[in-house]
Amino acid sequence: MSTRPTIVLLPGLLCDASIWEAQRATLAPHAEIRIADFSQLDSIDAMARSALGLADGPLIAIGHSMGARVAMEMVRLAPGRIEKLALIDTGVDSRRDGEAEKRQILIDLAFAEGMEALAERWLPPMLHEGRVGDQALLAPLKAMVMRATPEQHHRQIKALLNRPNVRPHLEAIACPTLVMVGRQDRWSPLAQHEEMASLIPNAELVVIEDSGHMSLLEQPEQVSRALLRFLGFEKDHSGADRAALGEVKPMGDDAVPDRIPDTPLFDRKRSLQGYRINKMAMGLGNPANREAFRENESAYLDRFGLTPEEKEAVMTRNWREMVRLGGNLFFILKISAVDPVRITEIGAHQAGMEHADFLRDRLGKK
Amino acid sequence: MAKLIGGLGTSHVPSISAALDKGLRDTPDWKPFFDGYIPGQDWVRENKPDVAVVIFNDHGNTFFLDKVPTFAVGCAEEYRPVDEGWGPRAIAPFKGAVDFSWHFIDTLVENRFDPMICQEIEVDHGLQVPMELFWGKPDAWPVKVVPIFVNVIQYPIPLPSRCYEMGRVLRRAIESYDSDERFVVVGTGGLSHQLQGARAGFVNPQADQAFLNDIAADPDRLAAMSREQYVEMFGSEGAELMMWLVMRGAMDPDVVVRHRHYFVPASMTGAGMIVLENRADAARAAAA
Ligand SMILES: [Fe+2]
Repeated sequence: MSTRPTIVLLPGLLCDASIWEAQRATLAPHAEIRIADFSQLDSIDAMARSALGLADGPLIAIGHSMGARVAMEMVRLAPGRIEKLALIDTGVDSRRDGEAEKRQILIDLAFAEGMEALAERWLPPMLHEGRVGDQALLAPLKAMVMRATPEQHHRQIKALLNRPNVRPHLEAIACPTLVMVGRQDRWSPLAQHEEMASLIPNAELVVIEDSGHMSLLEQPEQVSRALLRFLGFEKDHSGADRAALGEVKPMGDDAVPDRIPDTPLFDRKRSLQGYRINKMAMGLGNPANREAFRENESAYLDRFGLTPEEKEAVMTRNWREMVRLGGNLFFILKISAVDPVRITEIGAHQAGMEHADFLRDRLGKK
Repeated sequence: MAKLIGGLGTSHVPSISAALDKGLRDTPDWKPFFDGYIPGQDWVRENKPDVAVVIFNDHGNTFFLDKVPTFAVGCAEEYRPVDEGWGPRAIAPFKGAVDFSWHFIDTLVENRFDPMICQEIEVDHGLQVPMELFWGKPDAWPVKVVPIFVNVIQYPIPLPSRCYEMGRVLRRAIESYDSDERFVVVGTGGLSHQLQGARAGFVNPQADQAFLNDIAADPDRLAAMSREQYVEMFGSEGAELMMWLVMRGAMDPDVVVRHRHYFVPASMTGAGMIVLENRADAARAAAA
């Protein structure tokens, strides 16, 4: 019998539990989840002590930005209790020159003009440059900042300005540690995380693609996937979980939809599964093979070791089935060079539509 | 030093050359598509490039899945059309710009791009179609080529931002090449189309038009998009559009659009063309 581990999720500056929603949902089937609330605290030390008080016994600490600094402080305070550590979009050094002055401007802004004004100034540099106009991303972040108060902001900035330099303590972190960062994080850049991962003895680095500092919200699937794998939860999660994670549909498992609906990406699984069909079809680039295919299709297919299911799909020109079995259109299209059929007919077949309807409804032909 | 005189972008749908081979150019299905390329052909005729660097992807014709280079660069004397299943097409082989290819490969590696180096290789419709669209179907090509193959089929495919960066290195290679030859860079592929899965036949004319706007005016936005966004917006095969970013990365930030054309559907694809010049050159030409 295994007991469920406890995970403590540690939010960053001005962030509340909402920032962790995707990860909470992903991890909940595997562990007890506690989400820390730092809104009333004004030191990293107090935050770490409060987080350690959220549960008894061993913990997995996962922190984002300021929350990751809290996680490192938790390891320092209670090294025996932290079993695994994940540090996301963060840093290890103490206050930089000029930092206090810059932060003071934002403190003053929040008191003078309110949290909405602060959100508008503070949020854009936190995001991937390409997404600063993305309202679907921005709206929940803005709402979250507006749930906080100028006083909370002030307290947390105080905690940040007085943060300890944890660089000297990194080599003492003994537990398995995941260091993770958005590739386009302008606030705490990739290079800083590479350095952290090199200083922590048992650390691995994961880069979240197409993400700024707010990776938890910018790329929730990538973050969740990395956490599941790091925590060893990946193998036993159900198909439904995988669908929620947006993983590409495993071949032959129609219950799990594609991440982009009805769009099979030619990934590792598909490439491996479709290798025989695609190799057979690639062979048709050679005139002698085309002749062999025309003369005795079954014998030609047997040369490539196709399974009965694959053979049946090819011989019945079942394009949808060939693709489902890992066939890639660019290869299997060569079958249409030997046994002519229009590409639009192949498209219509996969779409499950009559050819005329397909031309009209999908391609806009009159 | 060599000079980059323009950036061209175009679709490379195989049905285009099939339509030409079958004499369908002036049929109602195809005439508006081909007519839209006439200004592009005029531009090429007037500007007489000596070398075309063509960025395209192989479509399971030259490379199989046993070896898939993420980026490959040709440095062959000659590139013959590959048999895609219908027999090799009756078009003249392409002459390679061998010396520049090697210089480009050197420049790439010095700038931390490590391509596969190809001294003997055939090319599929991904290169043939753009050449025919801009240069027609001559007995001998009036321009030498440098093929850049990008893997956009087997995942993981490269990041759009990486294609954009490669373009900047290409520009550096052209400008450090000791020659008075005139270069064009041709980004190919797209626009929106999807050949596989139940979403087959997906086209997105609105996104295509926005792409044609932004490839000139806001390429940073296109380079910052994820691969998944490309697939979502342009279809699984429409992700090849990221190859236009190599062309765009080679150009100045500030460009003028000389010609632009869009037609849907060419076979199952939203098809487009663009001709870009650096604004600095265009301004100089206007002043002269
Ligand atoms: Fe293509």
